[in-house]
Amino acid sequence: MLSDYMLYSVKNITKRKLRSWLTMIGIFIGIAAVVALISLGQGLQKAVEDQFQELGADKIIIQPKGSAFSGPGSEANFFSQSNIDKIKTVNNVRNAVGMMYTAAQVDFKEEQKYFFIVGVSPDIEAREIVQQLSTFKIESGRDLKKDEKGKVVLGYNYKYGDIFTRNLRLGDKILVNENEFEVVGFAEKIGSSVDDSMLYIAESSLEEIFDKHDEYNYIYAQIEPAVNPASMVDAIERSLRKSRDVKEGEEDFEVQTFDEVLDSFFVVFNIIQAVVIGIAGISLIVGGVGIMNTMYTAVLERTKEIGVMKAIGARNSDIMTIFLLESGLLGLAGGVIGLLLGMGISKLVAYIGTQMLGSTLLKAYFPAWLVIGALLFAMLIGMASGALPAKQASSLQPVDALRYE
Amino acid sequence: MLRDYFSLAVESLRVRQLRTWLTMIGIFIGIAAIVSLISLGQGMKAAITDQVTSLGSDKVTIQAKSVGFFGPPGTNVVKPLTKDELDHVKSVNGVKRAAGRLIKPANAIFADKKSIIFMVDLPTEDQSRNLVIETIKLTMETGRFLSKGDKYKVVVGNDYATKDMLGRKIRTGDKLEIEGIEFEVVGIAKKRGLPMFDLAFIANEDVMREILDIPDEISVIAAQVSEGADMDIVAEAITKDLRRHRNEKEGKEGFEVQTPESFLNTLNTVLTVVQAVLIGIAAISLLVGGIGIMNTMYTAVLERRKEIGIMKSIGAKNSDVLLIFLIESGLLGLAGGFIGILLGIGLAKAVELIALSKLGNVLLQADFSLPLIVGALFFSFIVGVASGTLPAMQASKMQPVDALRSK
Repeated sequence: MLSDYMLYSVKNITKRKLRSWLTMIGIFIGIAAVVALISLGQGLQKAVEDQFQELGADKIIIQPKGSAFSGPGSEANFFSQSNIDKIKTVNNVRNAVGMMYTAAQVDFKEEQKYFFIVGVSPDIEAREIVQQLSTFKIESGRDLKKDEKGKVVLGYNYKYGDIFTRNLRLGDKILVNENEFEVVGFAEKIGSSVDDSMLYIAESSLEEIFDKHDEYNYIYAQIEPAVNPASMVDAIERSLRKSRDVKEGEEDFEVQTFDEVLDSFFVVFNIIQAVVIGIAGISLIVGGVGIMNTMYTAVLERTKEIGVMKAIGARNSDIMTIFLLESGLLGLAGGVIGLLLGMGISKLVAYIGTQMLGSTLLKAYFPAWLVIGALLFAMLIGMASGALPAKQASSLQPVDALRYE
Repeated sequence: MLRDYFSLAVESLRVRQLRTWLTMIGIFIGIAAIVSLISLGQGMKAAITDQVTSLGSDKVTIQAKSVGFFGPPGTNVVKPLTKDELDHVKSVNGVKRAAGRLIKPANAIFADKKSIIFMVDLPTEDQSRNLVIETIKLTMETGRFLSKGDKYKVVVGNDYATKDMLGRKIRTGDKLEIEGIEFEVVGIAKKRGLPMFDLAFIANEDVMREILDIPDEISVIAAQVSEGADMDIVAEAITKDLRRHRNEKEGKEGFEVQTPESFLNTLNTVLTVVQAVLIGIAAISLLVGGIGIMNTMYTAVLERRKEIGIMKSIGAKNSDVLLIFLIESGLLGLAGGFIGILLGIGLAKAVELIALSKLGNVLLQADFSLPLIVGALFFSFIVGVASGTLPAMQASKMQPVDALRSK
């Protein structure tokens, strides 16, 4: 029975080919836009998660409490070496390292620019914690030796990214706040312009040049493998409170696992994504109105047909089902094409993004729920748009319908 | 003649009222979205321009170069400006008055809770002090403004009095500890809608330098240009002078001199890009609406084949038939656009009101310029005509005999 209805619907849709196509175009444009936007958003989210979850799984970040204007560099407080040593003594903390950075003036040849510079810890094991977290790897040359003076490792963009008119090479000399440094290595691409234009010198040199004493911007703590970092937050907070001599509730620092750091990033990201998808979703409403229009026209054109069906015993619910199926099919078919189109668009955008911008975060990702959800949603739009016309068709009086010219 | 075509088109649209409405809905949703997005974008640009010019269309600002985009002026700088440099700026030809401001984070304890606040100073020296007071035009909601010689007193931005920013709301007369020293709140400033005012703690310069132990640094210098002097020339003169004073080479300055114009240009570029992306996405729905018109017009041609046949057999030319159908689809677009504009205006106004009452945001304003309204009407008409072109051509090319014979 239902398969008969199905056949009838398909036949009607294919009979008015042009109209069906135009109606479906309305739906698939909207579905394509929404699918492309969601899949790129999901891809970005997944890329960030993948990158950090593995590396950050056993780590905790401790930073000064943010202010209303928070952003890197606007902190009022720093951490001291004694804070770091205290954290190291906490049970189940494997290691802890302070990270020191500041803004620096960089001269190369006749050009002068400003970038962030990071002090590299003399403790090799501790240094690895930071490097893992920032996915820092040496691309060419070598890493700094312990407390090495006068040498600098540069971010990827200095070699490939046209930061200075002439890209730098190993052995080049640059000035950091008027102090000469020789380039001994370049880092691999990290993926953000801030990270890739970073400079790395020995922590002792940074302290000397920038007159910083015992001022760490962040602390990273590494937890023993078998322990859940979330369970360590309280213990670290307690020890740091003691070390900094502050009362509970008056902490001037924040202890977070990487999951929490990521979550707070995604809150903002999700809001932006929702707004953009919402605007794209408007076109789906318009497409739905198009389906409604097509279905009303179909009901009008087939008034006589409906009368005949009713005269030979079709019930109201049969007519209703027939028209709902037809509009649902229109939506579903539009959804299938839209889904394919949307996948193509997001793949294309991701490809172009990788080629042109060198971004490793722009990825198209299609979770099963997105594919199924998009199809289901397209069908629902079709049926919802067809509901009113179908209702009209089903409640036609057979006599009136037959008499209709 | 054209008038007859019009009434014919209106008549045909009226006959199929439901279909006409549904087709127009497709257009007006898209137009409404675009109109409201554009008007909010324009309004925001105008509001920002307003704020900037009210703060100083006659002032250039000087900041040390910094890394990154976060934080207020003076964050992440390498070689900060100094008091000595402020004096130099004051002596540049064409500079009437100049003031330096210190903007720094500080530790505060209020209601037993530790927080980081942003402090802004009010210069001690008379000329600078007056310039700042005249520029910021701060009025008090409660209490009084700072007077000279006020030690350990602060004026607090409005957000701290209306929201529980530091644990609980701050009132005039409250005491709080800043960098270990007890301060008294002598006044709450009126709401300005800008974080630089609503989130600031203002204290006298000497007090702030004392508690933060910053004897010489300046975060930003504002220099008022004498009447009649050319802003760009003065900016250039300041650059030259400071360059010499700081012993820096041309092109290697460790500071930036910005005129209000250059600042606004940068800002507007960013806003325009964001706006373009959003409008582009919203325009997709207009495309879908256009396809709806095309669909409706094809159906209309199909239904009126016989009519077309009769018109042609009594002498209508192809161009007449084409025109009739184009007018009809153009009218569909135009009517949809008209409703869409009204809807878009309402929507933008609603967003503005909600932003104002819920967020206290004064920058999100709806601005409806005549070009926007005329442009939107014209555009929706074009969308209608363009969508109707193919169906109208089909209708005009029909053979009268075939058209008459059809059922």
